[in-house]
Amino acid sequence: MPVWQRIYEELNDPNFVLICVAEDTGGEAVAGPIFDAAAPTYVQIVDEDHRVSSAFNFVNVPSAAWIDETGRIVRIDEGTYSMIHSFGEGEQAITFGTDVYEPALKDWIQSGAQSRYIQSVETITAQIRQHTPAQRQADAAFCLGNLFRQHGDAAKADHYWQLARTLNPDSVNFIRQNLTLTEEGSAGEQFQKMMGEYVSAGRDYYRPIDIDHE
Amino acid sequence: MASAFMAYPELRHPFASSSIHSEGSVTVLYEGRQVELAEHAAGEALLIRPDDLININGFEVKPEGVCHGDLCIPLTTALLVEQDDQTWFDLTAFADLLEQPYVADHEARVWSFAEIPAKRHNMMTEAMAPSLELTDRQGNIFNITDLKGKKALIVTWSSW
Repeated sequence: MPVWQRIYEELNDPNFVLICVAEDTGGEAVAGPIFDAAAPTYVQIVDEDHRVSSAFNFVNVPSAAWIDETGRIVRIDEGTYSMIHSFGEGEQAITFGTDVYEPALKDWIQSGAQSRYIQSVETITAQIRQHTPAQRQADAAFCLGNLFRQHGDAAKADHYWQLARTLNPDSVNFIRQNLTLTEEGSAGEQFQKMMGEYVSAGRDYYRPIDIDHE
Repeated sequence: MASAFMAYPELRHPFASSSIHSEGSVTVLYEGRQVELAEHAAGEALLIRPDDLININGFEVKPEGVCHGDLCIPLTTALLVEQDDQTWFDLTAFADLLEQPYVADHEARVWSFAEIPAKRHNMMTEAMAPSLELTDRQGNIFNITDLKGKKALIVTWSSW
C-alpha cells in the first residue's frame, strides 16, 4: 500500500484516480490499519463481499483494470504488483512480483491513448474471463456466507463459502479467504496443496503480463 | 504442520449471533445491498410486492413491462402471481428469465442474487467498465461509471 501511495504522489495528476480495494471479509478491522499505515490519499475501499473481483471476473489478488477517460478498459487481469517483493534468505528466499508494471502505468497516465501499453478492445475482451452461470452463482453463495458470518453463524458461513469454492474452483480469492477460517491460515499446507493442484490443472490465476521490459 | 501466516486469527469468527431480520421477514442480497421485506409470500419461489422491486434491483413494474431505464421486459403470467387475494411479483422467476443466478437459504429466508448478466454485456463485448457502485472508507458513494473524463486504476489486494 505505501508503494501505491508513492506512485500516486509521483504521478500527481488530478485526472488520474487510483482506487485500492481490499478484498477482505475481515473488513475494516483487518484492512483499515494496513491502509492507514500507508497514509493514503487515493480512494480506499474495503470490499467484504469481493464485489470488485466479481464485477471484473478476477480470481486472485492483486488484480487490476485500467479504465480510460471514456470508460473503456485498456488493460485488465494481470498480477498487479507495484514492485518485486523478497522475503527470507538463502534456500528459504521467496521472490514474487514485477518491476515492469509501474513504468507501464506511468507511461499510460502521461501518454494516454499514445501509450504502447494500452490494449485493443479485442485483446481486452479476450483477456476478461468468461465465467459460467455456476461461477457467477458462486458470487451469490459467497455473499450469502458472508452475511451468515456477520450474524455469528459460522456453520452456515462455512457451508456457503465451500459452495462458492465448489461452484467457482478458479477463484484463488475464495480458496484463500476460506482458509483464513482454518487454524493454519491462508498460506499453510492446505494452500500449498491446493495451489499445486490449481497450477497442475493448467489454470492461470493471473493472465500473463504482456509488458516489454526495457 | 508448516508455519502459517494468519494475520488476525482472532477475527476468524468475531461476530456474536444475531438475527438477520425481524421475525417473518425475508432478506434479499444484491449488488452489496441488503433489503429486508416484511411482506412476501416466500416458498420455493420468492414472491414480493411489485412496489418493492425497485429497492432491490432498480427495475419497476409498469403497464408496459418490467423496466429499468429504457429497457422494458414484457410482463408475463409467470412474473405476476395472484395468491391470497394479492398480486405478487415472482423475483426468482424474473431472475431465471434474466439468467441471473441466485442462492437461497430457505431456513433463514435469505435470497442472494448474483449480477444480472445483461449489465455486464458491454464489458464482455466492448470492454466498457461495468456499472459498479462502491462506498469508500470515508463513506463517499460513487460509481465506476462516474469516473469518465479521468483515467482510473482499480487494483485489488488483501490482508490474507
